Amino acid sequence: MFLALREMRHSKARYSLIMVIMLLVSFLVLFVTGLARGLAYANISAVENMPANYFAVQADADHAFRRSQLSDKELAAAQSVVGADKATALAVQTSTITADDADIKADITFFAVDMEGMLAPKVAQGNAITNGSTGSAVVDAKLEQSGVTIGSTIRDQASGMSWKVAGFVKDSSYSHTPVVYITQADWQAMKGGSVQDGAGEQATPYNVIALKASSAQAAEITSKLDHVDTITQKQAIASVPGYSAEQNSLLMMIVFLFVIAAFVLAVFFYVITIQKTSQFGILKAMGTKMSYLAWSVVGQVMILSVGSLAISLLLTFGMTMSLPDTMPFQLEGSTMILTSVLFIGMSLLGSLISVARVAKVDALEAIGRTGA
Amino acid sequence: MSAMLMMKQVTKTYGDGGQTMSVLHNLDLTVNEGEFVAVLGPSGSGKSTFLSTAGALLTPTSGEIYIDGEPLSNKDKRELTELRLQKIGFMFQSAQLLPYLKVEEQLLYVAKLAKLGTKEAKVRATYLLKRLEIWERRNHYPEQLSGGEKQRVAIARAWMNKPAILFADEPTASLDFQRGKEVVRMIAEEVKSEGKAAVMVTHDERMLEWCDRVLHLEDGILIEHL
Repeated sequence: MFLALREMRHSKARYSLIMVIMLLVSFLVLFVTGLARGLAYANISAVENMPANYFAVQADADHAFRRSQLSDKELAAAQSVVGADKATALAVQTSTITADDADIKADITFFAVDMEGMLAPKVAQGNAITNGSTGSAVVDAKLEQSGVTIGSTIRDQASGMSWKVAGFVKDSSYSHTPVVYITQADWQAMKGGSVQDGAGEQATPYNVIALKASSAQAAEITSKLDHVDTITQKQAIASVPGYSAEQNSLLMMIVFLFVIAAFVLAVFFYVITIQKTSQFGILKAMGTKMSYLAWSVVGQVMILSVGSLAISLLLTFGMTMSLPDTMPFQLEGSTMILTSVLFIGMSLLGSLISVARVAKVDALEAIGRTGA
Repeated sequence: MSAMLMMKQVTKTYGDGGQTMSVLHNLDLTVNEGEFVAVLGPSGSGKSTFLSTAGALLTPTSGEIYIDGEPLSNKDKRELTELRLQKIGFMFQSAQLLPYLKVEEQLLYVAKLAKLGTKEAKVRATYLLKRLEIWERRNHYPEQLSGGEKQRVAIARAWMNKPAILFADEPTASLDFQRGKEVVRMIAEEVKSEGKAAVMVTHDERMLEWCDRVLHLEDGILIEHL
């Protein structure tokens, strides 16, 4: 590090320039990552926040929740494998609502869940509802921005049914729409079926079954019910309409940024290294070990990448605070750490080309050279 | 009096098969403590090969070399690097100081490589820089020094780790006559004061006034002109 630090001290302009480039690239990486995560979260937070790790869907539904149709029979079978409290039905319906006391019309998604099961919404404001409280709903807090308040009545445009808003939940979106949680009884009523009916085959009770299961249990359910697939939460999220297309294009940008960062650094250091070939020869002749020189190069790359990353993290924090709430931007600690580690890893990978070049320099080059 | 450098029947050939070229041919040389030896030869006579071989940078085809009594033949690359660090001081053409280290740091760097204590290194560097009359330039970068000053720093750097022997590769090549002579005088003085040895390779016959022995590299062997 003795050499690494002093060389950077001596060539401040040169190393500052590369640091600025690294800073811009890493900032862009963090920003686009935050945006991708934010968009993803704004899209499917309702599914992501579910405590379920598997979902049982109809085999021919292509993993899409809304295409799947399952009945009590499948629910009972799933519950027999994982236990009654670890399998619960979920019904999904996209619709449009109006509010009686506010001039709004909003696209929403109905989630009909067992209000005592694991999918029951965690109310952040207002009151929770029970399975018996028909005519009440818990809605995503985003509807609050549209003018819906606790006590408002919202009306489903398609069925004409209405619900009183009992409480708000946070971060509950499905396919970019706020989720409205209703009871299963209301769901049956909305679909025209009847709970008391019992036979219920003609009715469409649920779309999917959310499971908290081990992979062995998931496989068991699949083999037990021949027209049912169990998919992981990840797969379920990926099949939310629009999710993959949105995420893949952002992911491509991020990957390219990583590659660009690695290349910029690799090329820069390679050029510097070639320029210093005779210096490395001298150093080796004087008795500098190869490992020392390798650490010197890697150390410089580390300092540059960690330094620029630290500044861009600060910038990202600053920007997060000044962003408007409506901007979907989210960067959790774990994502940030992963991104940072990847960024530094790619930089180090790029520096290896230079290390290989230094290793090839022969100490003999020091003798008989006139050039300085 | 002990031998700092001993070369016995050293041969270095290049090429393979029928097309071999012998640059050093059964060369014998002994340099004792306190001796300053000059090796003269026109360009292309194998001076660089001679210096590289003696300086443990190049392995001879045959023959044995001893630095401070240690044979080089059974050492691997890592051990040779360590030996160069501890036992050999190098001076290169046009000084070849590291452009981004200040004068004093040039010396502290080699001390650091040799794992010398910081305080001890400081004392040694101060002593050498004062002796070579560049103490007041210790916080300058090489680009701010004249050619003669650079070579004086190079002398100090070469002696920093108290090597057994110093090898100088055309140390006066980039200097004018007066400054060149001054540098050679200083090398000679340091040899005496450190009680070590030095071998200088040069093509300039005017620089020999301070040398104890002058050898000519001809046809791969060293001939002494008395």
